[in-house]
Amino acid sequence: MSDVPFRNPGWAGNTGEFDLSEEQVRGEDFVGARPLEGGHPAGASSYPYMLADKNPDAPLFDGPYQARYEKILTRYPDTRAALLPVLGLAQEVRGHVSPGTMNEVAALLELPDAYVRGVATFYTMYNKAPVGRFLIQVCTNISCNLCGADEVMKAFLDETGTEMGETSDDGDFTVVEAECLAGCGFPTCVQINSRYYENVGADDVPRILEHLKARGE
Amino acid sequence: MSDTTRPSTVTLTIDGREVTVPRGTTILKASESLGTRIPHYCYHDGLSSPAMCRLCLVEVEGAPKPLPSCVTQAADGQVVHTDSGLARTMREGVLEFYLVNHPLDCPICDQSGECKLQDYVHAEGRAHGRSREPKRVFGRDDFGGDVLFYGDRCVMCTRCVRFMNEVEKDPRLTVVERGNRSVIDTFFDDGLDGTKWSGNIVDICPVGALVSKDFLYKQRAWDLDHTPSICTGCSQGCNIALHTRDNLVQRLKPRTNLEVNAFWMCDYGRHDYEWMNRGDRLEAPVVRSGGRGTAVGWAEALEALSDRLDELGDAPVRAVVSPRACNEELAAVRALVDHLGGGVVEYRLRVAPDEDVLEGMPFVARRRELAPNHRGAELVGAARVGGDDGRGGLDEAGDHGGVLLVVGDEVADQPADFGAQADLYVYVGTHGSAATEAAHVVLPATTFAEHEGTFTNRDGRVQRFWPALQAPGAARPAWMVLRALLARRTGGEVPTTAAEAFALAAAEIAPFGDLDYPGIGTRGVVVDAPAALAGD
Repeated sequence: MSDVPFRNPGWAGNTGEFDLSEEQVRGEDFVGARPLEGGHPAGASSYPYMLADKNPDAPLFDGPYQARYEKILTRYPDTRAALLPVLGLAQEVRGHVSPGTMNEVAALLELPDAYVRGVATFYTMYNKAPVGRFLIQVCTNISCNLCGADEVMKAFLDETGTEMGETSDDGDFTVVEAECLAGCGFPTCVQINSRYYENVGADDVPRILEHLKARGE
Repeated sequence: MSDTTRPSTVTLTIDGREVTVPRGTTILKASESLGTRIPHYCYHDGLSSPAMCRLCLVEVEGAPKPLPSCVTQAADGQVVHTDSGLARTMREGVLEFYLVNHPLDCPICDQSGECKLQDYVHAEGRAHGRSREPKRVFGRDDFGGDVLFYGDRCVMCTRCVRFMNEVEKDPRLTVVERGNRSVIDTFFDDGLDGTKWSGNIVDICPVGALVSKDFLYKQRAWDLDHTPSICTGCSQGCNIALHTRDNLVQRLKPRTNLEVNAFWMCDYGRHDYEWMNRGDRLEAPVVRSGGRGTAVGWAEALEALSDRLDELGDAPVRAVVSPRACNEELAAVRALVDHLGGGVVEYRLRVAPDEDVLEGMPFVARRRELAPNHRGAELVGAARVGGDDGRGGLDEAGDHGGVLLVVGDEVADQPADFGAQADLYVYVGTHGSAATEAAHVVLPATTFAEHEGTFTNRDGRVQRFWPALQAPGAARPAWMVLRALLARRTGGEVPTTAAEAFALAAAEIAPFGDLDYPGIGTRGVVVDAPAALAGD
């Protein structure tokens, strides 16, 4: 592990994270065991939202998603309170929250269209436009920035051949800037879909992208 | 459980002056009662208080940090400073933030002159900005209806959003995005089309973000004269102000009257002013003899008219009045008809199929009766004729054989031979029409925008309006014309002021009783509440 040169003051050394398999990192229970039927209601909206089979034209909500939608409604006193998780579920199904999706969600929850738009646009974790298979969110807030987030960001953009916020030609990658991801102890912190990649340096970027492509998710 | 021993008032000190206010009053209202206006954007008397503009922060002794006065309730013994060094510094800081992205385009902004940002920054802001960063630019957005949105001028007080949510209850507006990208918008291209009260968001916008398309670039706010008046659109009797310049009405704005229209008025009423500016007015009395009309002076016209009435003796009298006429005019018509031996007085009224109720304030609505004074017409014993479109119903009047008196109603829908059978056809009005061509005597009258008088709204509230425009030519208020004719015949005094005309009217309209004209004031007095309301 000592063969990795010192990169930033916050770096805890190579923990071998990228050498481990998903199973080793997340455990057998997690991988491939996404409880589509919803699992416990408390987690109904909180599962990783980037499904490989996300489909912008998928119905709201169908099959197991219908069950999860109904579970969400049971957790809140009124539909207004349920708006955030329902938007999250809609994004999980469709990959992004389009104006049409906002409209449908508003109709489902009997809320004003404009209100749903206001909420959906307030939160940056709802994608208002289609994103690639991997949404790469690079933290450029202060801790990460001090430890070279700008170089990491540049590396991601160069390697994927995109502009910030754009999707690469093969539809795989969208790179965006994120505010603090609460990984200040491990700068630079990068969130790719629902997973955190910590202590990322600019020279790690090609390896991460290869890893993602190989894994396919 | 309420504590009965707790006093219902609190006494606090604001800027060194003690004031006693009812418990629950906010510091902002308490200081207003002392005459101190604390600057604010998001607070509006007719809306909820989100305390988000941070401009009404005041220093309260003992409080760990400045408190928003619009939501902080006054407490006993509180010592408040609205003008201390700290309070001023806070406002200066907040105002500096407001100007970070403001375009400072006052020279081309419609709100200039009545803009709260302009006022506050001029009074307490920094002389020079310190921001070196480029300003973010939104441009403008047509919201539909009469509303145009300039995103860059917005201070995000959300008064408009709250008006649509809480008062109109048609929640079409929202705050989109966050941080310095946040902007007021509807659901994408939905717009405000189809709303009936959205003009109010232009009024309550404290800056130039929401402006009226109708008024866009028309006049500067400081050039306008404001005259208190009453909307003539329907029988609700909304209190309004006529904003005039160059002897033209430029726009209508609601005037606060919590018992009638609160702070609002509907879009129909707001845009119903062009007729006041019509140029094709009757400007001189005309006496017609042998088919030829001659413009004459008032004395000559009234003399000819009076002589003709003498000749006709006790010919049957019939009068057509308008529910848009004021109480003084209606009472004068009734007095004249009675003087001439009595006869039918009728009026026509346009009636809308539905009311447009302001959902959040159901006592405010655009009523079905589309005239300001049909109650007044009822009170003088006039009978309604014609259809709901305000047309027809005048066949009998048109063929009337004796004295026909038409006051205020333009009878524009009537044929040219209207009144041809009459021995004497007198038309008192503002505009002529084909059916008034045959009138033996045409007397030019003023519109409600040009004279003073009172309307009685559907709830029996007598409300005054004031003259805003110069009358064209020799036009005079119809009440003055008719009373002058009466005075000539009975030897009484001619009323020269609206107060005198009202006193004469009050003597004839029983419910007005001994109502005192100045006592009606700017808020009106209820004299004759309909029985149906009392029963509810």
